[in-house]
Amino acid sequence: MTAFLLKRLGFAFITFLAVLTIVFFIIRILPGDPAYAILGDQANEQALQALRARLGLDQPLFVQYLEFLRGVAVGDWGVSLVSGRPVLQDILEVMPATLELTFVSLFLGAVIGIPVGVWSAVRRNKLTDYIARSASLLGLSLPAFVTAVLLLLVFSIQLRWFPVISSGQGATFGERLRDLALPAINLGLIMAAYITRVSRSAMLEVLNQDYVRTAKAKGLSFAIIIRRHCLRNTMIPVVTVVGLYLGILIGNSVLTEIVFNRPGLGKLIIGSLYQRDYPMLQGMMVIYTMIVVLVNLITDLTYGFIDPRIKYS
Amino acid sequence: MSVDAPARKPGYGAYFRASIAASLIAVIKAFNANKTSWVGLGLFLAMVLLAVLAPVIAPYDPLEQNILDRLQPPSAEHWLGTDFFGRDTLSRILWGARISLTIGLASIGIAMVVGSAIGLFSGYVGGRVDIVIMQTMDVLLAFPALILGLIIVAMLGPSIANLAIAIALTAIPPFARIARAPTIAVKNREFVEAGRALGYSDKRLMFGHILPNIAPEILVMGSLWLATAIRVEASLAFIGLGVSPPTPTWGGMIREGFENILDSFWLALFPSIAILIVVLGLNLLGDGLRDAVDPRLKGEE
Repeated sequence: MTAFLLKRLGFAFITFLAVLTIVFFIIRILPGDPAYAILGDQANEQALQALRARLGLDQPLFVQYLEFLRGVAVGDWGVSLVSGRPVLQDILEVMPATLELTFVSLFLGAVIGIPVGVWSAVRRNKLTDYIARSASLLGLSLPAFVTAVLLLLVFSIQLRWFPVISSGQGATFGERLRDLALPAINLGLIMAAYITRVSRSAMLEVLNQDYVRTAKAKGLSFAIIIRRHCLRNTMIPVVTVVGLYLGILIGNSVLTEIVFNRPGLGKLIIGSLYQRDYPMLQGMMVIYTMIVVLVNLITDLTYGFIDPRIKYS
Repeated sequence: MSVDAPARKPGYGAYFRASIAASLIAVIKAFNANKTSWVGLGLFLAMVLLAVLAPVIAPYDPLEQNILDRLQPPSAEHWLGTDFFGRDTLSRILWGARISLTIGLASIGIAMVVGSAIGLFSGYVGGRVDIVIMQTMDVLLAFPALILGLIIVAMLGPSIANLAIAIALTAIPPFARIARAPTIAVKNREFVEAGRALGYSDKRLMFGHILPNIAPEILVMGSLWLATAIRVEASLAFIGLGVSPPTPTWGGMIREGFENILDSFWLALFPSIAILIVVLGLNLLGDGLRDAVDPRLKGEE
């Protein structure tokens, strides 16, 4: 178990470095001068050079890269050009709101998606299957901001059940929940659409296995076959999906936060894009990289728990 | 004793013709197997037709402002109403379709060619080169496409070409993966071995013999990723990083509609429906085709 853990940790670290490197060079290789972008057309050469020096952009690329890695390692992510506060501090302040939203959505997505997917596979090509498949296809086809706008239109504006703007800073638990409800439902339903599809196809594959036929032949009840022989094997692809669709989850959380005007990483990155807050953008890239690598590590470790065979191979 | 050299070396043109022919045959078979693909294709082609005909059929100039007619609900005069500047929503949706489809097709075209080439090369060469290339692709695959797209567009500036490049960059890794797996499966098959024994060049084997075999799968994924590309383009436009106003884009229209949502909800609704039709159509098309092309699912029905 320790060897498995260490191997995964080492691999995660290498991946983290690789993503950071790729992202760093993608940003730097692209044409466009950040100093120029920040200061605009009217800036004179002196001001441009001063800003370049302040951002370290006058250094050779390799020196910039080492400096960037050093900063990431020691937690010195630079100072935001807008707020004047350390980038890391600004990011950590809004992190909880985003994590709250994504975790609750993921939970909702799993609670809805897994049973619907399993059910849909069991009732393959029956009416329930068609309904579940159509619903999940619809969920996959609507961009997150469209569903968010629709939810807002119906539940906040027409029915007035929820606030139009969710501050995410509600004082009491009830207020927080009310703020969280619509954004989480929006993101959760989209995740449910993805999870339904994967659970269905994973379940279909498992149902075709020989051991399921054996279990049926033994005379086990259908419920026990599903629970004891199928579910665990269905879970592996489903867990993979959480890792694989993380990018989609993050992208959709950004859109959701914008529509519901909810503080979080999404609003922070959009704000820093508009304001050309270069150090903040760089910091956001680092934090997203960390999240991606960390979630992939967790998914990898989860396999080990669900399927002990993986640990030893 | 003379070694028989290949009599005539076919050019790339012949390779691609062979690939396209192979894809077409597979696609036609797939269509017959799964009827929903037809529905998807119909929806998508209808939207393409509307986009192509936009200059002819759009009832108004999409940029023409008419302050007296602003925020009109749907009527006989303006079927889908007018926006904050009195511009005709229907005309703007028709013209917006051109932007969405152009960016979508261009970006997926680039991603398909570049990604497949990377995957084909990586899978064919194998060994350490393959490991390094695919690790890099996996790493990029893990990064949120929307965030990467956002940053690239913010840096390059929001023009149609730049948006296509940004979205293409985010879609290259999946195509590399899709092309690589079948390449590895195919490269040790007898017909490739035979080609190698005949002294065919690597180029000829890759493009002439392997590509036609993996082309159908790449094409199917292309239709699914086209749906994603159109969704990402709309998302970027919604955030404010689409093709600059006043050019009509669906995402941009929803954004403007969202600002007037309290009194004119249809402004956000109609472009949303347009996005839904295209993306749903492409998903239906791709899903149906994939079921038919994916060998794992064969013989299940």
